Amino acid sequence: MTATMPATSSEELERLETAPRELAALPVGRAGMWWFLASEVMVFGGLIASYVLSRFAAGGWAAERAHVNARLAAINTVILVTSSLTIVQAHVAAEAKNQQRTRLFLFLTVLLGLAFLGNKGYEYAGEIAHGYTLSAGGFWGFYYAMTGLHGLHVLAGVVVNLALFFAFGGRGWHAIRHRVEYAGLYWHFVDVVWIFLFPLLYLA
Amino acid sequence: MHSPEKRYPSYVAIWAWLMVLLGLSLAFVVLPFSHLAAVVLIFGVAAIKALLIARHYMHLREQPWMIHVIAGVPVLLAIGMALALIPDIALRP
Repeated sequence: MTATMPATSSEELERLETAPRELAALPVGRAGMWWFLASEVMVFGGLIASYVLSRFAAGGWAAERAHVNARLAAINTVILVTSSLTIVQAHVAAEAKNQQRTRLFLFLTVLLGLAFLGNKGYEYAGEIAHGYTLSAGGFWGFYYAMTGLHGLHVLAGVVVNLALFFAFGGRGWHAIRHRVEYAGLYWHFVDVVWIFLFPLLYLA
Repeated sequence: MHSPEKRYPSYVAIWAWLMVLLGLSLAFVVLPFSHLAAVVLIFGVAAIKALLIARHYMHLREQPWMIHVIAGVPVLLAIGMALALIPDIALRP
């Protein structure tokens, strides 16, 4: 291992962020993000497994599932998948050191994330107005827990992407451009989780 | 992560495939399949969509083996946990 040196310039900061460590020659930021996502898989995996088993035990929850709005959820799927395209384009632009395009695609990703949350809020409002609240039964408890936790993850991603958007507007953005890749990994993971929540709660 | 001369996959084409697969998922709900067949098809399509995003958008196919282990082990554990608990439901008196 090399000795740690204080960051004295943006080049040095960039070197420290992206320098491969001896273990598998991985940039430490990327390895850290994948470890974090692995822990997130266990969070959502445990919740999804609990839902599936509870649903089997309860006989399918067919009556309850008839009241969710699959049309709004399908629109949200289009929004989130499209936001995966915009964040990967931000990553490509950041790698190409194109500040303007990076900011444009980060901004579009933020907008799409907010659109997802707005749509989800509208959906919640309709369900709550019809009496389908968190305490309305086992299905609704899982529904709000899973979509609510996912929504909080989307909100966190929006905040991070917004922070990167502003960070890329100032000097020194070049040194932190690799953070777009890590933010993108997180955002894609949130998309993948929704890809399974959508059929679990709305289709199957 | 990427060298300057690296060729990126067509991200727009992958997005288009994801949209086609979403359309397929919705079609399986209304087409006259049995419930079990529809469920298998819908989750098969979801798995393909997840793999497309992981391989191309998350660049998993370019990552070293250690990243595959980090990403794969919790997925297997989550699936294993669900499978291990199924008898608790299925064999209930």
